[in-house]
Order: sequence, then structure tokens, then C-alpha cells
Amino acid sequence: MGLRDFIKAYWRIILLIVFVSVALVALFIPGGIFADDSIGDGTAVAENGTDGNVNGTAASVETTQGWTNLVYGLSLDGGTRVSAPVVGMTAENLEIDPDREIEVSQTLRDELELDPADVMLRFDERTGTYTAEVFTKNVSQSEFAGALQTAEVDATEDDIREGVTQATRDEMIGTIDTKINEAGLSGGRVSQSDIGGQFYIVTEVPDWTPQELRNHLSERGIVRVVAHYPDGNGSQTNETVLEQGDFASISPPDYNDRSGHHVPVTVRSDIAPDYQQRMNDIGFTNEGVGQCDYENPGAEGQNYCLLTVVDGEVVDSHSMGGDLAQNMRSGDWANDPRFIMGAPNQQEAQSLSINLRAGSLRAPLDFENDQTFTLEPALADQFKVYSLIIGVISVLTVSGVVYLRYADARVAAPMIVTALAEVVILLGFAAAIRMPLGLPEVAGFIAVVGTGVDDLIIIADEVMSEGDVNSRRVFESRFRKAFWVIGAAAGTTIIAMSPLAVLNLGDLQGFAIITILGVLIGVLITRPAYGDILRYLLTDR
Amino acid sequence: MGYFDVPEIDYTRYSNRQLAAVPLAVLAVALAILGGWYVFTGAPVGLGIEFAGGTELTVDTATDESDIPDAFDEEVSSIQSVQTEDNRYIVQFTSTDDEALREQAESNLEPLGGNDGVVMSGSSTSASFGAQTQQTALYGIGIAFVGMSVFAFILFRTFVPSVAIVVSAFSDIVIPLAFMNLAGIPLTLGTVAALLLLIGYSVDSDILLNNSILRRSGDFYESTHRAMRTGVTMTVTSMAAMLVMAISATLFGVELLASVGLILFVGLAADLMNTYMLNLSMLRWYKFKGVNR
Repeated sequence: MGLRDFIKAYWRIILLIVFVSVALVALFIPGGIFADDSIGDGTAVAENGTDGNVNGTAASVETTQGWTNLVYGLSLDGGTRVSAPVVGMTAENLEIDPDREIEVSQTLRDELELDPADVMLRFDERTGTYTAEVFTKNVSQSEFAGALQTAEVDATEDDIREGVTQATRDEMIGTIDTKINEAGLSGGRVSQSDIGGQFYIVTEVPDWTPQELRNHLSERGIVRVVAHYPDGNGSQTNETVLEQGDFASISPPDYNDRSGHHVPVTVRSDIAPDYQQRMNDIGFTNEGVGQCDYENPGAEGQNYCLLTVVDGEVVDSHSMGGDLAQNMRSGDWANDPRFIMGAPNQQEAQSLSINLRAGSLRAPLDFENDQTFTLEPALADQFKVYSLIIGVISVLTVSGVVYLRYADARVAAPMIVTALAEVVILLGFAAAIRMPLGLPEVAGFIAVVGTGVDDLIIIADEVMSEGDVNSRRVFESRFRKAFWVIGAAAGTTIIAMSPLAVLNLGDLQGFAIITILGVLIGVLITRPAYGDILRYLLTDR
Repeated sequence: MGYFDVPEIDYTRYSNRQLAAVPLAVLAVALAILGGWYVFTGAPVGLGIEFAGGTELTVDTATDESDIPDAFDEEVSSIQSVQTEDNRYIVQFTSTDDEALREQAESNLEPLGGNDGVVMSGSSTSASFGAQTQQTALYGIGIAFVGMSVFAFILFRTFVPSVAIVVSAFSDIVIPLAFMNLAGIPLTLGTVAALLLLIGYSVDSDILLNNSILRRSGDFYESTHRAMRTGVTMTVTSMAAMLVMAISATLFGVELLASVGLILFVGLAADLMNTYMLNLSMLRWYKFKGVNR
């Protein structure tokens, strides 16, 4: 038999061996097939269902590795997940003259008595209309509609829906991703999922309690710099001089003896001259130098403080230093607009730096309607062992029944080997695309072994029916008949599982994806190969 | 061949009506149970916390099982001990205030020696989140079932055999649902997954039977027996795997795998009856009487 005939006769088995080898490489060789995470990120984005916005949903993939390249999900690795909807409502397709944009948002703010951060107007390039959002629970739909009408915008209560826009959710996902991955933890993941028409922001971190995670997520992290200075009548006045968007660069937190804990920042070059002018105008660079004794009643009316305000709370106060004041007076500062933002301790400096860099959370999350899940890593490790044991026991049971049924190792042994090959290929695939494996996926693997063996039984029975297989032609014809049933059965399983793969039903997406992939690998690769193995063992060559 | 073989049943002894009566009666009882449940509880099946809302904590504690409810201000709806791990309990609450429940567990339950914490795992679902999940799950099951039905019609392109598949698959889902009510298993995401998988699994043996009888040469009873030999082997193998998975996962306290295994076991058992009594009687009627009409 020449090489060509050999390949022609056994190409299905050869294909199976190739796939198993590739899977083993993907599973066990460090680095696997794809050395970087790009593929994993790609799928994460695709699963999140936000098209064309890779940055918004970029999920960072865990890098912790054991002796395989498998990535474990929350239910096998431990960690905490909080899924919460976003607070807010939206009015879409509003006809607003672009010149009136500022006026309209000012009116909305005043009418609804909201902070600037809780009102958002967005211009939609495609439709040429505006979208208005408010991020609070304290306003009803009719109040929102009323405020829009006051601002002379044509809108009724029917135009307003609960929930926020995709753009807002994307911004939030980006912000949360930065927040959870910069707080000294890695392996955080954030995405959105659409459950029954409502969007939830799903955040996963490896080692916080649900309460800690909620606390981090409920801080919106809106940072402002407020000038606190005498109003001339013996008391103080406050004026916001810098906002989040005014900074060009933010450095990591730093410490020195003179300034204490602080975050070095630079102000945007188009903002810096105005800021410098304002500081000169209200006296911070002259009489105010070094004059800050915040909240001391005795200093009332004489304080010149720059306050660092996060979410409306003053976290630090300091005066203008002499050198900086001089630079500002001479007008040189605006050419190199660097300064530092003070913080009382290292932790505050860290969170200040993160808040500045990540930006503020556009809208608050609604933790009253959330879902949380948390699992201690110790229990997760036990679950890993348990699922391995359960999987092995299930495979042994299947093997036992199959052997009892056929009492022919030539039929039964390749069946078990083929079913296992299916699992290996699937595991390799999961490792290659960095698909996180959890308990639902384990259930999926067991289901795959189940359907796989079912199909192999169909092949074996069909091929061995009506006497011995004595020619290749007889074998091929019987194999084709068996394959019609297998294809039909695979089709129904895929149809039955596909809603789960698309709908966001908690962890079940993974279960469905594994089952569908397993069925496909089975029908296309492993089950045909089993046919070839049987033929080799049963036909007279 | 083999240590066991699928027995040949003499179907000629039973009329179609007799054959169909048993599975239809079981289906009627199952539907009655679901209906009764709906009338008395407002839902056809008991909903787990993922759908109804509530909190579940897994705790490792030296406190006695009977004293655990006293540790919490809120009412405990169920406590289950984990067989393979002493002193591990799964406690469920209808309250969704997981932060308070966690604190109460940590401060009022006695940790095991060598552990600082009590709560090993916790999950909490608000009622609105649960309601949304429930709706999505219903959609999922509905779409899967309709999709499967359409596919069955495309495969066989004849009315009676396709309907036979759809009716058996329907019964295969309804019977385990009724069983869940009787056994006190609530509907969770795991059981929904199992029900969907059941649609895929159970149709296999129906397709095999239909294919053997309709598309293959040979006498009706010969074809039936040929399909049964393969089909029963398949189903029994899967049932064995699922039973073992259900038992071992229950012992280990891995709820998701336990419920998937148990529901599939019951559903596949129902499928044996539905395929070889209900589906078969419909096919026989179609083959011997239907064609003459």
C-alpha cells in the first residue's frame, strides 16, 4: 500500500490524530498555540454583543496558570461577581438646535435639581438628533418629560424609556475595567449582558467580597478641584476650577517629605492659561500663598485652599506653594502646566490616581436589583477536584455499560478512546481561545461524552448489523446510513442548545457553547474516525 | 452478544390504543401535577432562588445544623448538609440582603478549626433580576422546542411521524418537570439546561426509530427491533452516566451537576417509554392504516 492509498484509506483517523495533537499542544505547552490574548479578547467582545467597540468591552483575561493552559471561570477559580443594572432613563431622537445644547442641559439640571454629572446630552451623528439621559432614581418619567418641555424640546412621557444608552454603558465598562484592574488586582473582568431586555453590567474580580466590590462600584469617582477662598465679606466661597476632563496626564501616586502623598498631574494646554489667570485673579498666587487652614473656624474669611473633591466629599486641602505661585504670576506656568494633587494617605492617593485616570463612572449602578455570586478560592479548588472525579466516574460508567453491551473490546475500546479524544480536542480548543471553564462547562463536557457515545453506538450497531462486514463497499454504505441519523440528531441538539448560547442566562452560555462545539467536533472529526477504526478492525483487508 | 441484550418485545400482542394509553396517561398525570401546582402556588414549578430571588450561602461551621437558623435574623428557607464534607451546609434565604446575612453568618456561626471565615460561597439574586432571568429562560425553552419541531418536519416531511417526535419530546420535558415538583427540586438554571439538553438527547432515539421504520427496507417489527437495540443501548448508557453524575455530584455538594444529572436521568427514562410506546404506536398506525386513507 503506497502512501497515497494509506492516506486515502485512513484520512479520517489521521485527521483525528492531528486534531488531538494540536489540542494537546494547546493544552500543555506553555504559551499554547496563541501566545498572546488577542483571540481570547476577541471572543470576549463578541460574546458581549457590542460590535465595533473593542475598547469599551475589552475584557482582561486571567494570566494565572497551572500545569495546563486552561483558564478557569468564577465557579472553578473563586472570586466575586456582581451584575447590576444602570440607574437612569433616556429620551431619544430629540430635535435640538446644536446652538442650544448648553442651554438645554442647563435647564434640565435646574428643573430637575441635579448635579451636572447626572444629566447627559449626546448628539447622534447618524440621525442628526440628540439623546438626553438622566442618571438618578429621584426623577420620574413625567418630571423628565416636563423638564424637556420647559427647555422647549418636543418630547412627551412616551418618548422616555428606562435604562441608559449603549454609549453610556460602554463608557462605564471602560471605566470599571480600569478601576478594577488598576487597584493592584489583576484578573478582573467586566462586560454587559442583556437579560430579558434589560442590560446589566457584570463585574468579576478574583478577591473582593461582594460588599467591597459594591463599595468600589458605587463610588462614581467624580474628581474636581475647588478653589475655597474669602468672599470679601468675612466668609468663604467655593468655585470649581478644574474638572476631570481638564487633565492631560496623570502619574501614579507618589510621596515626598515636602508634599506628602500626592498625584502629579498636568493640566491640558488649552485649559491651563485660563486656570492660571483665575488663580491670579482670585488671589491664590499673592496673598493666598501658604494660607490654608481648612475648616478651622478661626481662619474663616482668610483661607485660600485648593480642595480635592471626590464624589462631593473633600478628601484633601492645601494651599498654593511659593514656587508655583511665582510661576503662575509670571505666566510661565501655563507653558509647562504641571502640579500635584494632595491626598491624606497612600490609599487615597492611589484611588485618586485611579479615579482621575479611569474617569468617573458615567452613571450609578442599581444594587437593589442586582445579582451577586461569590466563591472562596479554597472551595473553588475543591470543586475543580470534584468535577474531575465526577467526569472520570461518568466516563467509566459509560465505558462499563458499553463493554457489557458489546462484550467485544474491539468495538468498545475504540468507542471510549474516541469519546475521550473528543473531550481532549474540546479542552484544547477551550485552552486555545482562553475560554473560562466553570461548572456549567464541566456539565457540557459530560453531555458531550454522552451524545458522543450515543452516536458511536449508532455507528457500531449499523455497521455490524446483518452479518459480517466483508467488503469496504458494504461498510461505506452502512456507515453512510448511520451518518444520516447522527447528522439529524446533531442538528436537533444544536438547535435545542443554540438559544442558550445566544441568550444571556447566567453561566449557561458556556454550557451551551461547549455542547454545540462538542457536537460539531464529534460529527465532523471524531465520529467519522471511529467508523474508520471499526472498519480497520472488522473488515478483512 | 454482550452481557445484556435488548429484549425483543412482541408488539403484535398490543393494540395501538393500548400502547399509547400508558404514556398518554403518564403525560396527563404530569400535566395535572403542573396545573395543580400552578393553581396553588401561582407557578407550574417551584422556582429556585435564581428565578424567584433570594440568597444562598455555603458555610463551613462547627455549629450544629439545628442551631444554624438561630444565627440569622431572617428566616431560613432551607438547609442542606454536604455529604462528603463534614460541617458544610448550604443555607437558603428568601431575603436578598446578602451583606447582612453574610455578617450574621460570620459573627454568629462558629468557624471550623484552622479557618478564619465561615462563608465559603454565596449568591444572591434580587427579585427583579430573577423575573428577567425567568422570562429569558422561558423564551429559550420555547425557541428550542419550536426549532426542534420545525427541524423534525424538515427531516421527515410527513405529518404523523414528525408529530410523533414532537409529542414525545414534549412529554419528555413535562414528565421531569412534574417529577421535580414531587421530589421538591426547584427550577434553576441547571435544570433549565438539563431540559434543553433533553430536547436534543431524547429526539435521537425517536429519529432513529422513525428512520429505521420509514426509510429502511424490511418488515415493520424487524425494523422496530433493530432501532430498539441501538436506541435502548444509547439511552441506557446515557442514563447510567447521568445517574452516576447525579449521585456523585450530590455527595460532593455540586448542585448544578447534580440537578443536570437527575433531570436527564428522569427525562431519559420517560423517553424510553415515550419512544417505544407512544411514538411507536403512532408510527404503526401511520404505516398500516394511515397510508390507505
